Amino acid sequence: MSLSFQTMAAIRFGYGFRPGEALPQNRDQLLGQVKDASRRAPSFPVGGIDGRHRQIVDLQERLREMRQSGSDDQLRRKSRKAIQKQVQQRFQRDASARLMQAVLSPNGFYERLATFWTNHFSTSAAKSLPMWMIVPLYEAEAIRPNIGGSFRDLLRAATEHPAMLIYLDQVQSQGPESARGMKQNKGLNENLGRELLELHTLGAGSGYTQADVRAAAMVLTGLTIDREEMDVTFRPGISEPGRHTVLGVSYGGAIRSRKNYLALLDDLAVHQKTAQHISHKLAAHFVSDQPPEEMVTAMADVWKRTDGDLTAVYGAMFDHPAAWRDEGAKARQPFDYIVTGLRALNAGSGNGISGDFMKAAQEEDDDVMARPKDMAGQDDALGGDAGAIAPDPANEARSKRRKSFQTARALGQDALRRMGQPTWLPPSPAGFEENFSAWITASQLAERLAWARRASAQFGKDEDPREFLRSTLADAARDETIRVVSQAPTKISGLTLVLASPEFNRR
Amino acid sequence: MIETTLSRRAFLASACCLAAAPIFTPVTFAATPGDNRFVTIVLRGAMDGLDLVQPYGEAGFAALRPKLALTPDRGLLDLDGHFGLNPAAADLMPLWKSRELAFVHAVSTPYRDQRSHFDGQDMLETGGEHAAEQKTGWLNRALSVIPRSDVRKAIDVNTSTELILSGPNNVDVWAPDSDLGTAKDEMQFLMRLYAGDPAFAEAMEEATRANNAAMITEPEGKRGGKIADVAMLAANMLKGDYRIASFSITGWDTHVAQNGQFNRPVQDLARAINTLKAVVGPEVWSKTVVLAMTEFGRTVRQNGSGGTDHGTGGCAVLAGGAINGGRILGQWPGIGDGQLLDDRDLMPTADVREIAAAMLYRQFDVTARDLTGKIFPGLSFDNGSQFLKV
Repeated sequence: MSLSFQTMAAIRFGYGFRPGEALPQNRDQLLGQVKDASRRAPSFPVGGIDGRHRQIVDLQERLREMRQSGSDDQLRRKSRKAIQKQVQQRFQRDASARLMQAVLSPNGFYERLATFWTNHFSTSAAKSLPMWMIVPLYEAEAIRPNIGGSFRDLLRAATEHPAMLIYLDQVQSQGPESARGMKQNKGLNENLGRELLELHTLGAGSGYTQADVRAAAMVLTGLTIDREEMDVTFRPGISEPGRHTVLGVSYGGAIRSRKNYLALLDDLAVHQKTAQHISHKLAAHFVSDQPPEEMVTAMADVWKRTDGDLTAVYGAMFDHPAAWRDEGAKARQPFDYIVTGLRALNAGSGNGISGDFMKAAQEEDDDVMARPKDMAGQDDALGGDAGAIAPDPANEARSKRRKSFQTARALGQDALRRMGQPTWLPPSPAGFEENFSAWITASQLAERLAWARRASAQFGKDEDPREFLRSTLADAARDETIRVVSQAPTKISGLTLVLASPEFNRR
Repeated sequence: MIETTLSRRAFLASACCLAAAPIFTPVTFAATPGDNRFVTIVLRGAMDGLDLVQPYGEAGFAALRPKLALTPDRGLLDLDGHFGLNPAAADLMPLWKSRELAFVHAVSTPYRDQRSHFDGQDMLETGGEHAAEQKTGWLNRALSVIPRSDVRKAIDVNTSTELILSGPNNVDVWAPDSDLGTAKDEMQFLMRLYAGDPAFAEAMEEATRANNAAMITEPEGKRGGKIADVAMLAANMLKGDYRIASFSITGWDTHVAQNGQFNRPVQDLARAINTLKAVVGPEVWSKTVVLAMTEFGRTVRQNGSGGTDHGTGGCAVLAGGAINGGRILGQWPGIGDGQLLDDRDLMPTADVREIAAAMLYRQFDVTARDLTGKIFPGLSFDNGSQFLKV
């Protein structure tokens, strides 16, 4: 049995069905999503890319002032705490917006790719305080606009972003024989050089040596950030002079420049091993933990022919028959599971309780989360009658919003954390686990059941489980699931069973 | 029998914090015959053994590591006049003094040159001679050859199975803060829903079993960080029917400003071992061996940013009432000119798999033939191994 194109496209290559959303009818429409969506700004960082740049510069300024101020330790701790709180709240809002971006977007395949590539070029917000504000920006400005073009541009954008340079310690690296390095007695840090070869391009075990890693790190010296502007810059004074040989090719010269590492990145981007490694990773992510060799080869061939035109490589994946058969071979990862669930339940703006959920997720640092004392002040400012004995509508509205906010957090970021996939917080530079066995386990199932119960209760009051099953799984629903759901003891229980079913957790 | 003294709901409420906590911190258990216990802790990220156990008596050590090397007059805790313990591990000193703690320096897996965490950890957990040679974990394979081991149930306390215990023998997976819920009627429907899907049916069955087995926690409700929760759960399982447990501690990948970064995982390691000892109690502890090991060591020289890069020779930690500790084991290769591997790494002088083999041999009577054939193919090990004298 094989499923309809629309069902396979939605479940395997997108985030499932959302009531009322038009479905891609063919391969070209799916690929068309990538081109269209790459040009659009995502809903995060909240306040936009320019706004976030200003906030980061401002944060650096405040941190510097704090360090330089002559105030005592206690005062400094207090102001650092206040800064931390604001940064964390911004991160939480961005993470919620990122989740809802995937829930609301009609471009499921593009959204899935954005998740894939952000994970491929992993960075973690937990690295340092500014990173909580930089990592959401990184996805928005380095990853998302570049996933439909050439891999060369994507590799350049990801590598030349403060998020990557901070996460992989490139900002700490200096050529040992460079002018500054000699004076400061500082030296090389291999981290970015190593992960560039092992994770971002050629792949582990592809034949490069420790000498290649070290030489790559040498070529990268000089690539760093301007801390005040939090922008990428090249500093010849810390770059290792001379020529350095990576995979038999020599980079650098008497005068070192940005061109040297760009030449290295460009060579790596079109390397046969890179084409093979990343084609395999794409096929393993979308189609099967063990994708057919011919499929990977076909993708790598297109990579070679087009110098890494990513949309052409995705097209080669679609053109292989294996892309459209053996449905359900992959496990939905937690983010995929939650986004698909919220889409199925039509969480989003404009429909009652769902609309509150949406808004609430964005309201984190407003009075909804403020302590009662702070809110009293705000009541006055808003003209609220805090002293009255009669029920206070402002307070009621607020407590309703607070409840919505708590639900949004429980069904969103808290659930992702409990399931082992918190947004922008991968466990290592290799990103999150890929394979079925990592995600379909006992405690994973327990977490998914808990989520399914809560989400069903939250959004599903007006849903008929049989209708919900049809709109959510279409022809992917097994007979036994249809039977079990139709016999469920309660409505909520029926909806929970749909969300807990194997075919909803597989894709 | 294990007693339930605190509701799991109360336990759940405490288990929360943002982000920085390691995502996968598993505990795996197995029930085997006899009273001996064996705990493995995988230190993920390549622990710098030279920072944990510093050869301060070695000429040139301070010059190689100007920012990292300590001496007894600068806080290092002297162990034997030549080596000293990082002060972040001060909580382990009582164990050292009571001879329940030992370190093995200059050990590694057969993994060389590429220095990838992921390949290195695969080798450490699969126990093979080459990367990707073995597909299953050595601790899981060991379950097949432990004599009289007809009950080979294992449980992995986490959201994800760790490689070390994955394989043909049944492994349950559980996290200290998961909960299956209690809707009995719904349970029947779920069983039916999963009946035709073996992967889901198995996960559900494990969840049901583990949910019952894990209804335990510390009696007084005193809870520390996440690692203490994990160790506590492991210890409670070991007090019951289980004899083998495994989990991991992350955070050892110290490329930058190692002085600050190193303290947290070291304290976690000390907390894990001390929690295990306290919760299992003296009798069980006297039959317990804990082996903490890492995928490879780090460069002998500190790098340009006060950290260390990926190296080779590392350090293994042994603890437990069943060992004869208070000693630095292994063959120290030195760190002078010409003594380093590739002029950068501590030269490995022993295979970390041999330590694990020795512990399986003494704790569970696994034969040397099974150890070198089925568990660690290619390993040279016999009953003359230095690690049997620990």
